[in-house]
Amino acid sequence: MAHRLTTCTFCGVGCGLYLETSGNRVVGVSPSMSHPANEGRICVRGWHVHEVIDAPDRLKKPLLRKNGRLEEVTWDEAFGFIADRLKVIRDTHGPESIAFLNSPRCSNEETYLLQKLARAVMKTNNVDHGAGVYSNYALNVLLKMFGTPGTTNSIQGLDRSDVIIVSGVDLGRQLPTIGGRVIRAKLKGAKLIVMASRRHRVAESADLFLLHKPGTVSMLFGAMAKVIVDHGLVNLPFIRSRCSSYEAFLASVRSRDLLATAEACGVPADQIEAAALEYARAASAAILYTTGIEAREHDSVEAMVNLCLLCGQIGKDGGGIFSLTEHNNLQGVCDMGMLPERLPGYGMVEDDGARRAIEEMWDTSIPPRRGMSASWVLSHRGQGAVRAVWLCRYDPASTAFISEAGESLRQCDLVAVQAVFLTETCKYAHVVLPTAVFGEERVTFTSTERRIQIADKVIDPPAGIEPAWQQLVRVARAMGAEWKYDSAADVMDEIGAAVPFYSGANYENLSHDYGRQWPCTREHPMGTQFLFAPGHPSQSFTFIPIEKPARPVVTNDEYPLTLIFGHSLYYWHQNVLIKHSETLKREYRMLLLDYPDGFVEINTSDAKRYNIRDGEKIRLRTTSGSCVTAARVTPEVMSGTVYVPYFVGQVLRQLRGDQEKGAQLLPVRVEKEAA
Amino acid sequence: MKARIIDRDDVLKIADLLQGQGYDVIAPFPGRGRDTFFESISDENRQRFQIHLPNPYYPPKRFVFPHMERLLTVRRSNGDLLIEPTYRESKRALFGIRSCDVAGIYHLDRFYLGREYHDIYYEKRRRNLFLVNVVCTVPGADINNECFCLCTDTGPAAKDHFDLQLMDLGDEFMVVAGTPAGEALFSDSMFKRGSEAHREKRVAILNEVRKQFKKTTSWFSATVRYVSQGAVLDKTWEEIGNRCLECGGCTYVCPACTCFTVSDHQTGSDEIERVRIWDACALAGFTRMAGGHNPRRAVHDRRNRRFFRKLAHYFIQRELSMACVGCGRCAAVCHGDVGMPNVVEMIRRASLESDTHAD
Amino acid sequence: MPTENIYLPKTAILDRVTDEIAEVKTFHWHFEDEAEQKAFKKFRPGQFAQVSLFGVGEFPTSLPPSPTEQETFFTVRSVGSCTSALHQLKPGDKFGVRGPYGNGFPMDAYEGKNLVFVAGGIGLIPLRSCIVYALNNRDKYGRIQIFYGSKTPSELMYVANLREWEQATAVECSLTVDRTCPTDVWTGNIGVVGSLFKKPGVGIPVENTIAFVCGPPVMFRFVINDLIDLGFEERNIVSTLERYMKCGVGKCGHCCIGVAYVCTDGPVFTYEQIKKLGEDI
Repeated sequence: MAHRLTTCTFCGVGCGLYLETSGNRVVGVSPSMSHPANEGRICVRGWHVHEVIDAPDRLKKPLLRKNGRLEEVTWDEAFGFIADRLKVIRDTHGPESIAFLNSPRCSNEETYLLQKLARAVMKTNNVDHGAGVYSNYALNVLLKMFGTPGTTNSIQGLDRSDVIIVSGVDLGRQLPTIGGRVIRAKLKGAKLIVMASRRHRVAESADLFLLHKPGTVSMLFGAMAKVIVDHGLVNLPFIRSRCSSYEAFLASVRSRDLLATAEACGVPADQIEAAALEYARAASAAILYTTGIEAREHDSVEAMVNLCLLCGQIGKDGGGIFSLTEHNNLQGVCDMGMLPERLPGYGMVEDDGARRAIEEMWDTSIPPRRGMSASWVLSHRGQGAVRAVWLCRYDPASTAFISEAGESLRQCDLVAVQAVFLTETCKYAHVVLPTAVFGEERVTFTSTERRIQIADKVIDPPAGIEPAWQQLVRVARAMGAEWKYDSAADVMDEIGAAVPFYSGANYENLSHDYGRQWPCTREHPMGTQFLFAPGHPSQSFTFIPIEKPARPVVTNDEYPLTLIFGHSLYYWHQNVLIKHSETLKREYRMLLLDYPDGFVEINTSDAKRYNIRDGEKIRLRTTSGSCVTAARVTPEVMSGTVYVPYFVGQVLRQLRGDQEKGAQLLPVRVEKEAA
Repeated sequence: MKARIIDRDDVLKIADLLQGQGYDVIAPFPGRGRDTFFESISDENRQRFQIHLPNPYYPPKRFVFPHMERLLTVRRSNGDLLIEPTYRESKRALFGIRSCDVAGIYHLDRFYLGREYHDIYYEKRRRNLFLVNVVCTVPGADINNECFCLCTDTGPAAKDHFDLQLMDLGDEFMVVAGTPAGEALFSDSMFKRGSEAHREKRVAILNEVRKQFKKTTSWFSATVRYVSQGAVLDKTWEEIGNRCLECGGCTYVCPACTCFTVSDHQTGSDEIERVRIWDACALAGFTRMAGGHNPRRAVHDRRNRRFFRKLAHYFIQRELSMACVGCGRCAAVCHGDVGMPNVVEMIRRASLESDTHAD
Repeated sequence: MPTENIYLPKTAILDRVTDEIAEVKTFHWHFEDEAEQKAFKKFRPGQFAQVSLFGVGEFPTSLPPSPTEQETFFTVRSVGSCTSALHQLKPGDKFGVRGPYGNGFPMDAYEGKNLVFVAGGIGLIPLRSCIVYALNNRDKYGRIQIFYGSKTPSELMYVANLREWEQATAVECSLTVDRTCPTDVWTGNIGVVGSLFKKPGVGIPVENTIAFVCGPPVMFRFVINDLIDLGFEERNIVSTLERYMKCGVGKCGHCCIGVAYVCTDGPVFTYEQIKKLGEDI
């Protein structure tokens, strides 16, 4: 029996846990009582992580498509095939015909090397991660307003918040460890304000629960700003010393009408006022949301950050903006430059200075134009320009977001997949490289609180299986690059040189305590618990005036309900992991088992009005399409809304029809469908 | 029970004696921060051994009832099935197991071996297990904020069900034998006869230690009564349920929780293994049946269930042992602070409210 | 004495499969080992067995045959992964069985009493065992009545048995269906099973009578009300409960409701007991 402290890789919280091994088998798991992110708590996924590692049906040999079928081959043959095919495609169609995509579950090291392989070796900026479609927007807003893209404060700091606002996210299901932290903070005296368009477990503990119409987050936060301005509770000293564009913002707020907004949001004005006053008067107040799409309208992050700046709730313990990542390494993947327009450390590809700095380090040139995004690559092969796609632990074929992904991959000349299991995407692969899994490699991940930490190696991978990053080194060498990394620690040393705020994050430093929160620099190797603290280099912030906030969908007598396309509530993006644990499969797929043909959720009172029973077949009709599905009748969703879990891809396509792509809200009507 | 006295420096020699008898001797060791975990004592780690340190949160029940355990393998060849159970029968000694956890293992004995059906996997592990209990005497190390063994009458000094018990008297340790196997060790010359003064010192220390418990939840027995009679209000269960994030942690760390699920894994083209894995009644899928019917849908029903199963008179009598041993682990791992001590307190408060309401 | 391994399934061989109704089939099987077969045959009506489809899992299923019959068989609806795996098997295929488990119906204690069997849909599966047992020990019991209903005529189980019981003089058997389709040839009763109780000439005796009730939850509740209206005492109404279970022997904890483990304290309970368990049926 041996125990080793490592980092849970299920979600963005990055809990510390111990894996217990017996021989070369992981036989148990228990939480670290001392890790600052979780302090003894882990969620049901963490408690079953050992079953996932143990999955016997994983891939153990490389596969190559021969005569239409994937066959086991030697590693040499697989790598040889990849190099030959890549060279031909590059020479025939140019480097822009090749794209490299990964999952926001990939480690920092493999992500860094993947984008380096693309940029330095293949000479393309066609790099992106699978969650970019919806999370890159939040990232860009934070970059614009704060200059730093990430959660500003620490999870543990929530213990010291006087007020916590949770907007949208169902923490209890999506990020339970943070959900628990919020509930306990409330029990210790913090005021908890929950805003959402559906009820959830954490909302039950709220002092104020603002159940608002979908699509009104920005209006709601704008109305709160109006209350704060009207009550003279604005933090002027903070604004004067650190913020720009305040006057323009103030003008946009003054034009708001509280009562009209309250009505549009479906929230009583006195609740909005109470929430605003609590937030403004708090010594420290935090706002939490997730980068997941969850029916988030485009300007909601701006509205939340505006409010935060208005009250100066930043740069102090217990305050801040929590831009929570659901994937375990979404933060790290972005930090590593797995973005078509940004380099490691967020420098713009098209910024000559930023590009030259990386070029000098790599001693090679980087193409000066931004690359294609994942959705562009996968929806129509970048209008036919893409011929080869590299997919590192990314399974776009089974994520419904880009429904044409499978078809796009089918048309490629090379689809190379690094994967643990034979995923849906492998159906389109020409070559599949099985990789090491969590527990079999020593690599780092960056959690949602900017904590760079090591996930340790506790057992050996099956014979012949290497960490994904080593496979990338082999490909780079086969393509003629002289890469030499003896360990993931060597890769991290290079990351430290490329990403300024990782410069102190070498493995030696990270192996103490519980990792380090960036900025972790040579000057400040202990890392940073919360950003923008007084004393640290002062930073200036920018308000973004919102002239016309997003409005709720206009419903009418013909289409009286609002259809919400959800995404993450039932963890579809983790399915590949979850299905390998008996218990997790049972827990997370339960609703699918209960409603085997998919379902949409309808509020109990609406169901009564339309005479629909739980589990009954219904037809949803939008102006552009219709579909048949089952109704799950539940008080959790707001009256007047119909919630569609994303994984019902078919439903999505039928209903959206020719509507604007990415539309998250549609007016809809519900009809009984004859059995 | 016979007692002997040893020098403080001789404590690890007991581990050596057990190793000499072929036992894998497992003791709690310090990890990072306040973390501790059970590890086999070896030449390499024995300098790190400490007698007083926080009780590991990952409970020692897994040495008799593992987190994940293979029950059998089944091979197919030429249409035949070869069904083979796999047992583990090596000798293990838990050195430094706390009194609450001794009570936990006794509870498992009652549950797995005490009724109509005997669990052979449990029995084989249990028969090869030797328990060296350490009496908790040092606040901050042995005794933490969540401990409430005083209320469940399971500590700080176990009264029985151990093989040996060690108690720190300062320069010396008192060693009590709970079984003939434990007593047999006394033949070694390091064990000296004790005096009346030793006995008095033991009593004095235990009287002093009692005062160090922060969670005394003296209302525990009243809670047993309320829960047994179904007198706890639905409102209270709802409040408890609303704070449960359904992680299952309280069950997994509980020394007295026994539930498991069974899963088949393909281990080869013609071979499968059947494993059992800890399961938790907090989880919605626990009672869900094939076909979709779930008699226990609401989270507060499931919370109610867990506390009823632990505290109802009927089950205490049925097993002659209560399924709560006062270790406080459930409180430490709970996201919503609804571990046993807090639940007792919430039930007490609710009963006061309903009393005054009746007035 | 070495302890027996309670989790160890024994190899069983599938002999033949017969269709009952849509998605429900009867699987005739025997143990590979003769001694096992002999030991197993001592089961009581109302007990159940754990069936293993290796690589998929294990599930509990009631034993529809009477111990007085020669053959051993299960009747199983395909609802989950295990049951659908059983449905895939072909004669000659091997799988695992362990049991029998549970308390079963105390048929000895019921001697000298009238027996009323009320079943809905596949609720007839667990009751078939006691019906056949009682008919094979006809002199030990008083009047025997069977009331059986299903949604449609094509959803009636054990049609051959039903025909036999309808024609036998030793038993009074009434059938009903909720509705018929135009293609059905059905000249019998239409209505819920409880409607049969008040038909002329039926006359359910209440004194010295045990009522067995099995069926879907809604039917169960209505029938219980009807029986109590007729004057049945709650302790003279018996049923078998179904619960998700993994072990069948009181260890895994899944089927524990109220103060009972369905697998070892049940699955047979009187309605008086069921009410005290305090959970949905």
